[in-house]
Amino acid sequence: MKGLTVLTLSVCLSGILGFAAVGFAHFGAIIPSDAIVTQSDAKQVTLAVKFLHPFEMQYMDMARPTQFGVLYEATKIDLLPTLTAASGKAPDQQKARTYWKTTYRIKRPGDYTFYVEPHPYWEPAEDAFIIHYTKVCINALGLEQGWDTPVGLETEIIPKTRPYGFWTGNVFTGQVLIKGKPAADVTVEIEYLNESPDNPNIVRPPSDPYGTQTMKTDANGMFSYAMPRAGWWGFAALSTADWTLKQGSEEKAVEIGAVYWVHATDMK
Amino acid sequence: MRMCTKTLGLFLLFLNLSAGQGLAHKVNIFAYVEGDTVYTESYFADGKKIANETIEVLDADGTVLLQGRTDAQGLFSFPLRTKEPLTIVIDASMGHKNRFLLEQSEM
Repeated sequence: MKGLTVLTLSVCLSGILGFAAVGFAHFGAIIPSDAIVTQSDAKQVTLAVKFLHPFEMQYMDMARPTQFGVLYEATKIDLLPTLTAASGKAPDQQKARTYWKTTYRIKRPGDYTFYVEPHPYWEPAEDAFIIHYTKVCINALGLEQGWDTPVGLETEIIPKTRPYGFWTGNVFTGQVLIKGKPAADVTVEIEYLNESPDNPNIVRPPSDPYGTQTMKTDANGMFSYAMPRAGWWGFAALSTADWTLKQGSEEKAVEIGAVYWVHATDMK
Repeated sequence: MRMCTKTLGLFLLFLNLSAGQGLAHKVNIFAYVEGDTVYTESYFADGKKIANETIEVLDADGTVLLQGRTDAQGLFSFPLRTKEPLTIVIDASMGHKNRFLLEQSEM
């Protein structure tokens, strides 16, 4: 009887854990300490580069990225050497996982688009690699210029709404590009970052579909979404690369994601 | 008299409109030091330059040290005489005004 109970319990637990691991979507993330740097703000911004399930806050281990930098006035500045390893986890996650951190000093007015190309992540559950080309924009000192300039990544989201200064409830519109061309009928997954510093309490979805919102791009690669809560929102446009990577001796598919993060603030 | 009221109404409406435009056309100024020179750049949010408008440089006590005008690129520079904090004000027309505090640590 006792044995059966333990067995039942462990089956239940593994069911729950398994559910937790596949229930929500993977997201590359770059989360800055400040999205709009004004004259009176600290000019030193901290950026966290992560690979996680934003809604359920589970971290995945992240290897040192392939490239990391900032696009400013149409010029790319390599910041890869500035990344240092850090570790983090969800409250209910046992083991801490590796993510990356850096600080950047804003010197001049304008838009700073930070971007990362992570090292390919092997996901056995999907029998594929995952590479999420991720971006976030910081605006500085009142000059709103540069936010829609493409970085030139394999796939990327070009914001069509200015990607900062959102009120809660505002709509974010983006265009998905693959190799610089608009990508039609691509799935876009949207999740709220439950660990957002300004989130007053962790949101628990009544069921899975609430956690990951999903839509498809139109013929021009466009999508729009209204953000219902203050904090950080991730948009991940997912497609399969027309190239493969080797896992051992086998060629495996690569899920390429164009990810963009924006922040919403309550009107009060 | 009625005519007057109408004119006043129109005038008030116009004031209102220009106030609304003020927010969208907020002026900005940015300053930095290179060597012994303070460089300033004045611009609207969309990147348009604020040309041929007044710049005032004040010390910590609010005393005006010098005045100047931005050029066609919205630029104005002046020599840095002492390493004391400065307030640099761009005063564009129609009440468009903003300031930049140049800290000692940035000199």
